[in-house]
Amino acid sequence: MADTSLSELERDVANMIIEALELEDITADDIDPEAYLFGEGLGLDSIDALELGLALQKRYGIRLDSDAEENREHFASLRKLSMLVAERRSD
Amino acid sequence: MDCSSHADTALSTLYLHRWCAWLPERAGEHMPACVITDEKPPAASVPAMLRRRLTPLGRAVCTLLGEMGAHEHPGMPVLHASRHGDGHRPLDMLDTLFEGEPLSPARFGLSVHNAVLGVYSIAFDNHASMAALAAAGEEFEALLSEARGYLSDGCESVLLVLTDSPVPERYRIQTQAPQNPSALLMTLSLSPAPDAVRLQAHAIDTAGDQAKIVTPPLLTDWLMGRCDLITRAPALRWQAVGETHTTPGE
Repeated sequence: MADTSLSELERDVANMIIEALELEDITADDIDPEAYLFGEGLGLDSIDALELGLALQKRYGIRLDSDAEENREHFASLRKLSMLVAERRSD
Repeated sequence: MDCSSHADTALSTLYLHRWCAWLPERAGEHMPACVITDEKPPAASVPAMLRRRLTPLGRAVCTLLGEMGAHEHPGMPVLHASRHGDGHRPLDMLDTLFEGEPLSPARFGLSVHNAVLGVYSIAFDNHASMAALAAAGEEFEALLSEARGYLSDGCESVLLVLTDSPVPERYRIQTQAPQNPSALLMTLSLSPAPDAVRLQAHAIDTAGDQAKIVTPPLLTDWLMGRCDLITRAPALRWQAVGETHTTPGE
């Protein structure tokens, strides 16, 4: 079974998502780290993707090329996004 | 040139079928049941993922549009007028730009003048004609003018949304803006109905100093019989004939 508990970094990234996207009534523990962030799953939309890009830059100093195909991969789930942060953070 | 268009008495009579308002500044006061005063209205019919981006003013408009049942009258145009849009948002973005910071895409997306109607339209799946107006303090007049256009074109009724919003402190000298946000909605038509209130306009020479900017609190007071209503363009004194509000809530 998938591990749905959050690491410290995942919790930090989850809180960034909640704060940046003004998700009402959602806590870090409500986000399944393996679930899709967009579409089904958490249900984020394309404006959220842009907003998340901005939040990553502000919080962790990570600049993503907005056209890069690999962004889809990075934004797939909380776990994937946390892996990106661990790898590329410069804050 | 004939400037007496306001003398067209047929168009100077409108029928008010329903109204409701959001006046957070009147919390605790004795108000009719159709006036809500909660600081952050629920907008329960708007999915949470859409609702999160609305300001209290946007939530209020969506709550009241839901209560007025606009989506149950397909084709009824919804017209929204506000002088400053949705409060601080557009002006705060100018500060962000000045500081050289990137803009929030979500806030940018909702800072356009028709943003609240857009969210409402998506949430309620209402594809009727909608328009957002700004008219430098003559928003109510502009709404009436727009409404008459739709009604003359054969629309049975129109739904008007008038909102007002504070602006950041540093802009308050430049322009007249209220301390609190507010909203008022009304459905109007050209035909009488048993429970409709007749709104009768009387031409006056000049609106002069008597004419205040028509805001949601002022319209509410007028509908409660507490003050006069004078519009500026054209200069008209309005009279409401009939029962304009239900008994104040206990």
